[in-house]
Amino acid sequence: MPIVEARGLTKVFRRPDKGPGLAGAVRHLFARRFTDKVAVDHVDLSIEAGEAVAYVGPNGAGKSTTVKLLSGILVPTAGDVRIDGLHPQRDRTTVAHRIGVLFGQRTQLWWDLPVSESLAVLRDIYGVDHATYRKRMARFDEVLELGEILPVVGRKLSLGQRMRADLAAALVHGPQVVYLDEPTIGLDLAVKDRVREFFRSIRDEGTTVMLTSHDLADIEGFCRRLVIIDQGRIIFDGDLEAVKDKFARERILHVETAAPVPLETLRTSLPGAKVEAEDTPTRYAVRFDRFAMTAGQAVTTLAGLTELVDFRVDEPSIEDVIRRVYSGELVLG
Amino acid sequence: MRTVRLYLRLLGAHFRSLLEYEADFVILVVATVLMQVVNIVFLAALFAKVPALNGWTFWSVLMMFGAVALAEGVGSLFFDGMWSLAWQINRGELDYFLVRPYPVALQSSSAKIGVNGLSNIVMGIIMIGTGLAHVDIAWTPWRVLLGALLLISSVVIKLSINLATNAVSFWLSSPTPLFAFAMHQVGDLARFPLSIYPIALKAALGAVLPFAFISFFPVAYLLDTGQSRWIGLLTPLVAAYCAVAAAVIFKRGMRRYESAGN
Amino acid sequence: MRSYRALIRATAKAALAYRFSLLLGLGAVLVQLVALLAVWRVILAESTVNGFTWPQMRAYLLVAFAAGTVVSLLGDFRMAFRILDGDVALDLVKPIDYQKARFAEAVGGLWIELILIGVVVGATLALTGGVDTPAAPALALFVTSMLLLVPLKFLIVYVSTLTCFWTQNYMGVQWARLAVVNLLSGALIPLAYLPGWLAAVAQWSPFAGLTSTPALIFLGRVDGRHALQLVAVQLGWVVVLWFGARLVWRAGLRRLTVNGG
Repeated sequence: MPIVEARGLTKVFRRPDKGPGLAGAVRHLFARRFTDKVAVDHVDLSIEAGEAVAYVGPNGAGKSTTVKLLSGILVPTAGDVRIDGLHPQRDRTTVAHRIGVLFGQRTQLWWDLPVSESLAVLRDIYGVDHATYRKRMARFDEVLELGEILPVVGRKLSLGQRMRADLAAALVHGPQVVYLDEPTIGLDLAVKDRVREFFRSIRDEGTTVMLTSHDLADIEGFCRRLVIIDQGRIIFDGDLEAVKDKFARERILHVETAAPVPLETLRTSLPGAKVEAEDTPTRYAVRFDRFAMTAGQAVTTLAGLTELVDFRVDEPSIEDVIRRVYSGELVLG
Repeated sequence: MRTVRLYLRLLGAHFRSLLEYEADFVILVVATVLMQVVNIVFLAALFAKVPALNGWTFWSVLMMFGAVALAEGVGSLFFDGMWSLAWQINRGELDYFLVRPYPVALQSSSAKIGVNGLSNIVMGIIMIGTGLAHVDIAWTPWRVLLGALLLISSVVIKLSINLATNAVSFWLSSPTPLFAFAMHQVGDLARFPLSIYPIALKAALGAVLPFAFISFFPVAYLLDTGQSRWIGLLTPLVAAYCAVAAAVIFKRGMRRYESAGN
Repeated sequence: MRSYRALIRATAKAALAYRFSLLLGLGAVLVQLVALLAVWRVILAESTVNGFTWPQMRAYLLVAFAAGTVVSLLGDFRMAFRILDGDVALDLVKPIDYQKARFAEAVGGLWIELILIGVVVGATLALTGGVDTPAAPALALFVTSMLLLVPLKFLIVYVSTLTCFWTQNYMGVQWARLAVVNLLSGALIPLAYLPGWLAAVAQWSPFAGLTSTPALIFLGRVDGRHALQLVAVQLGWVVVLWFGARLVWRAGLRRLTVNGG
């Protein structure tokens, strides 16, 4: 049985159409007009225990709203959510023990308490025993380096410190399912790396993770499954590698030779690849389909022709693929 | 029991940061004591010239003022976070409350400690106590028990009205609890005997928003004064009704919660 | 002068935007009016007390309400926050006098307060019966006293807001001010009801000018000479507080620079 299951999940936000100022407010009292905005539109999603899923989409696509629906924060306009077979509103407290949520844009730490105290309060809310809590904190500390920020008061944390503390806060109770909504937003690269390493560690422990991000570097090397949402609808749900295999087959081999080689020579020795000269006379770019030829084969062939000084293989990122999907250039599925 | 223990834990967490600003703490306490002292001086000055107000003596009205002060004090000291509900809703702070295994209303109300409540509780107890010491009541164990029950019910009613009126913020989009605050001020009318008011106000304070059950009716029953003293006996029922109504309104409101940033 | 007039106009235009905070502030004054009207109606139905009849007490309470409503649209909270944040330093670079600017803002909000007073007083009179208006000379003195009330009330709120230079707790200071003003101005109960010594203290304090003075003149409970004397006290306090506030302001600024804002 899937641990997270959504069927026909729909959320419509209703916004009053008010004219500007007092006059508009008064007019609205008499003639109520509303605009409906469909944020999430008949989403079906099921996630198996232990799965790691990336949930991506352009800004305003409905990513956060989906997370809020899946965690029971919002009541769906239509459709149904089950967490481990439970209804998130009816069995709110039971579900709360099983899920952990992090909203990158918002902290759950108490602004007037030191981080250690915030975490201890959460420990007591979830009824985590002290031994388990200590063990968990020690493990979080290994990757997140919490030690230095434990005595800092919530309001005085830097963004990176806050995010690390918030990650610990979301996982204090060892939830089975974790939703991470934009968990790296605004972080500098060093902190991002550390946080990403932390995602991998919780995934490796068997926690079900749903990661929402607009930074696609977050998802590479993290999950196998990719779900893309656009304008409230799921437009792709499948294997991340499959997407790459299908739409990101091209590799670019950059080589530097000891002496210039005629382009023609290179081209005839590498049929099926495109060879171009680069900025200096001894540099070349070889484009090839990785299913037609391996990078090793290309390098071996070139090494037989001339002396290679240096080479590098570029792999198109999933980011490029998804960007092309957003822009309508690519249709998946 | 766990709920209560955890509540004190949540509330107590703010205690240390409260003591950080010691001078402010003192100012707040002094200011609220001053407010009650002004009330007492006013009542004393009034009743120095007139023996009774519609049959109500200084001591009985003092008790009504005391009951309101006490109920308000408990509200501030232990449940001040309720007054931040509008703000919490507007800022989407309920998101995290909703994914924690603890009642949302209690997470909201424990978000703050209102130190001013401390002085209101103390002043309220002094006013009620002084009032009781100066009136003739034949104290029996049963009456003591009933008095305690009435007092607790009175506090529950005030808290329920606070919760219900603040929960109205789920429907209004204002980040400040205007409605709740206005109703809170209307509640000050109930510090005086209800009998002095015109019928519309009697209905409003006795039935619609039963502020009169915080002070007037229980005191009337206890002192055996006034025309409809038996109504005071209904106070525990009214308290139960208010608590349930507040919980229902809050639950309904929560379904409307739309988080922030949409 | 032109910049202050511009400020008055700007506040007058923005006044509607603050209507909610105005209604909030008004709520307490209105509830007090209703409660006290009910209390005195019952008491004075039996006999007059301290020489007050029911119509007189009604007039007294209405004047108290008007006095309590005037200058309540002050941006005192905004000012408090700017001092607490240290943003007040930015106001210092503007080429206008801080105190005069705040006063101009208070004046700009008057119109909406006057409308509210008109509505409430009109409704009360319609529900409970009319009041006698005093003869022309007393009426002129009453109007003068009400006009003096504007700077007087502004200054009392202004000085109490300046305490934010010394304390974080603006709420506490305001509550204390409201309590003291309510009692010593005679808004809660006419000063004649207070014990002799307290009434004397209140009489000479700046607070009497906030309710007691205009109300007693309106009721004709003080005769010409005495009335003039009361208004003179009012005027005296306006002058003292106007310059006193400047001293407090300067001391506050010194504190701001010492603390590094």
